[in-house]
Amino acid sequence: MTGKRMGLIFFPAFDWAISPTHPEREERLLYTRDQIFEEGLMDLPEVEEYKPRLAELRDIARVHLCVPNVEAQVTDAHLIAAGSTLVLADAYMDKKISNAFALVRPPGHHSMRVAHGNRGFCNVNNEAIMIEYIRQKYGIRKVAIVDTDVHHGDGTQEIFYHDPDVLFISFHQDGRTLYPGSGFMDELGGPKAMARTINIPLPPETPDEGIHYVLDELVLPILKEFDPQLVVNSAGQDNHYTDPLANMRFSAQGYARLNEKLSPDIAVLEGGYAIETALPYVNTGIILAMAGLDYSHVREPDFVPGQFQMSRTMKATIEAIVQHQKDAWDRRDELTDTAVSRAGPFYRRKKSIFYDTDMISESQEESVKMCPHCPGYMTISSRASKGYGTSDRVFGAFVPLFACHRCREEAKEEYESRKTDSAFDYIYLQDKTADDYRCYSVHEKNERVY
Amino acid sequence: MLIGIDVGGTTTDAVLIEEGKVIRAAKVPTDRDNLLECLMSPLDDIIRDVPLEKIERVVLSTTLITNLIAEGKIDPVALVLEPGPGMNPDDYTLGDEIHIIRGAIDYRGREIQPLDEKQMKNVASTLVDRGYDKIAVVSKFGQRNPAHEERMKAIITGVSPKIQVEMGHQASGWLNFPRRAATAMLKVATQDRYRKFADEINKAISQRKIEAPVYILKADGGTLPLDKSMESPVETIFSGPAASSMGVMALMPSDQTSVVVDIGGTTTDLALILDGEPLISSTGAKVDSFLTHIRAFAVKSVALGGDSIVRAAGDGVTLGPERAGPAFCLGGPEPTPTDAMRFLEMIDIGDGSLAEEAMVGLGRELDCSAEDVARKVVDVAVETLVREIDQMFLAWEQEPAYRVWEVLQKEKIRPQNVVGVGGGSLGLVPLVAEKMNTTGIIPENATVANAIGAAVARPTLTLTFRADTERCVYTVAEDGTSGEVRDRKMDLGQAEDMARKLIVERAERLGVEEYAGEAVVTHSEVFNMIRGWSTVGRLLDVEMEIPAGLIPEWTGGGR
Repeated sequence: MTGKRMGLIFFPAFDWAISPTHPEREERLLYTRDQIFEEGLMDLPEVEEYKPRLAELRDIARVHLCVPNVEAQVTDAHLIAAGSTLVLADAYMDKKISNAFALVRPPGHHSMRVAHGNRGFCNVNNEAIMIEYIRQKYGIRKVAIVDTDVHHGDGTQEIFYHDPDVLFISFHQDGRTLYPGSGFMDELGGPKAMARTINIPLPPETPDEGIHYVLDELVLPILKEFDPQLVVNSAGQDNHYTDPLANMRFSAQGYARLNEKLSPDIAVLEGGYAIETALPYVNTGIILAMAGLDYSHVREPDFVPGQFQMSRTMKATIEAIVQHQKDAWDRRDELTDTAVSRAGPFYRRKKSIFYDTDMISESQEESVKMCPHCPGYMTISSRASKGYGTSDRVFGAFVPLFACHRCREEAKEEYESRKTDSAFDYIYLQDKTADDYRCYSVHEKNERVY
Repeated sequence: MLIGIDVGGTTTDAVLIEEGKVIRAAKVPTDRDNLLECLMSPLDDIIRDVPLEKIERVVLSTTLITNLIAEGKIDPVALVLEPGPGMNPDDYTLGDEIHIIRGAIDYRGREIQPLDEKQMKNVASTLVDRGYDKIAVVSKFGQRNPAHEERMKAIITGVSPKIQVEMGHQASGWLNFPRRAATAMLKVATQDRYRKFADEINKAISQRKIEAPVYILKADGGTLPLDKSMESPVETIFSGPAASSMGVMALMPSDQTSVVVDIGGTTTDLALILDGEPLISSTGAKVDSFLTHIRAFAVKSVALGGDSIVRAAGDGVTLGPERAGPAFCLGGPEPTPTDAMRFLEMIDIGDGSLAEEAMVGLGRELDCSAEDVARKVVDVAVETLVREIDQMFLAWEQEPAYRVWEVLQKEKIRPQNVVGVGGGSLGLVPLVAEKMNTTGIIPENATVANAIGAAVARPTLTLTFRADTERCVYTVAEDGTSGEVRDRKMDLGQAEDMARKLIVERAERLGVEEYAGEAVVTHSEVFNMIRGWSTVGRLLDVEMEIPAGLIPEWTGGGR
């Protein structure tokens, strides 16, 4: 193999839907299938098509604390979407391909570390599962994720919030105007990973020009300085001017050029629900751009170049956002020192999380050790109310991949000591240093090892 | 009585079959420059003294189209493309005379940009001036709505009525614009010469007073009446490997999974029969440098045959890829795998002492005995074939899947049998089978399995039906026909019934109606189109086919 090819998995899950009329339904990638097959993209010498596979349950458990267990949170379709990213990850790491695009559904970027159900059409986080698989298997440490979906990638942000080796950048429509209502500039990461989370909330109706300004002036320079071993594009397509669930003004050309500039190692499809007017063209554009081919002929039927202009106010707003986040990035070490010293021995925060799809309200208490030697182990206690008075109470202890020995031992003690705690239904241990994932049922008194 | 004739690269084989038995067989060397003679001389051989009225069918499998394309003897065709938005059409490799026309149809067959008729007219005049008399017009998504292709054709024939225009949607109904364009181009580029050839065959057959219908074998292992085959002669390409596989189907018990190993002089063709069904290539055949939509068996050609040149390399040997000429034991110039097998007494052809001489000479180069070197040659041949067979199954397993059930159901399959056909199989196939822990089988009449396959193959036929109930239309891709759908709530059962009716009509048009009852639904799917939160229509896709199979008159072999 030449190594000059892009790897592609197209998994439209034509037999899977959240519900018959849900945006995340069988039909979503049908017209995309028509367009990319009709173009003959799979025949191109620059494109290598791969077959999906199922992810293993432990691949999910490496990232998520699924309540009560992994099987309860995933269908076969989820395992295939996640597994597809792993197939491409292996091909990329083995240098069989030069970059890759997992054009798969169901999506994942709203799924957080603790998974009680579906939120924002997502059950498990495909990118996070892929990244932790790669870091575990291939010994890579520094990864950058650029979330180009119109919605804030809150799940991915939360999973890597305390990891100083994972840079998470998300640009999205301002959370005050769109689901999930987060992704503001002050969400900069945990104390030990300040400015490794960079949010860029953009005003509604931002066109190609605005997003490319952000890319050129902020995203690309930060990436260059961070110098990651892997760049992942969390590739939503709902910034498109025809998307029914959002209000941005991005075009297929804009998306294709973004992928050419960003040049991600692996892109993973996220949202995008203009299934006829956007997706066939946007996906064709992204595939051509990633394959190094001319995408200048890709155009939506109703698109007129120059039809979306930025107002002076919008331009000023975006420039201010970029400047603000540039400063935060430049001051990342200082911000980290201040935050760590302010936190004391343990950083604690309380969160409430709403699962819009499954109508679950979760409240969490998170605690991270401010370890001087490593990113520090973490514990989470979580309670999810599912209506009708039922609720699940769980506790998890998490050992990050590059944890020190002491943090690991302390996390394991936490896990053992909670096994008899009747305040919880399930206790979890996620030890990435040993690739060891366990779940203990307090009522049934049995342990499951993934 | 059934007659099958297969023109192969090296030899042409003919068989006469009566009540499930091969009662006569003939073999002549193939003369590429005189295919008619090649077909007729073994035919004359096997029908001598046979009461001609007892002949029920004659099936021919020829390399005519393969040769024409390989030798560049096809007619010049200009391509007029309407690519619409998408890839840069300059990135397609479809030939030199390509013209791009403005206009576009989308994935649901809606016009998104009107055809630029003025531009089309100019291009037509240019092509006439340049002396083109054959043009293929192809729209992206033309199979979903052929209106622009039909208009392009009308404009061209308006400029010059003598020009032959082929439309993409009539060449293929599947998604893949460049493949459809290549298929349309090859279809029209081979028609004239093929028609001439078919006329000669008809004449030669009637001179012999044979009144039985004459069929031609296609790459998908199906037969088509000779007269009907003139419409799309390019489908007859690669019928040789299809003939071999059909022969194995005929000679083996049904429902088994076998790998067909056809070892010739220069190459070995591998094909798969899965649960009794030959595996069809999922995308279409590659013809010369063109990827096409021509349905063909998934055949893998390995550059290794009985006459492959054997060379010493390091302390081992390499085989092929070139042919050395005939084996040394048959008077050839160089040692070959055939000589190694002859020396080890695995086969019994040629002069044993010459085989020994070949091996002794090769052994001297490698500083080992003639027996050791002969074993080395055979081992390398067997290992190569086993590896290629494994890769073929692997490639089949790794074919993409687009539905959850497809990913879940694809199990690991390995063959029950390794079946050898063709001249070179005798010695190697049992060893290949042994190494793969399967049964090696050389059926009786294995050397003429290809001709038997041709004789007993039944017609094949496909139909790609799609209804779009929001737009109230249905299309049949293969025919380029469309019609009205009145029922917005048409369900899959109704769509399948309609497709069944349409495939019967199609079978009648192609003269294979007696097999229409064998048609099966190979794929059917419905998508509800939701806009907002309500259903505005349905997309229903039904694919039907008469799969490759054997005619009921065949009662031999495993039947």
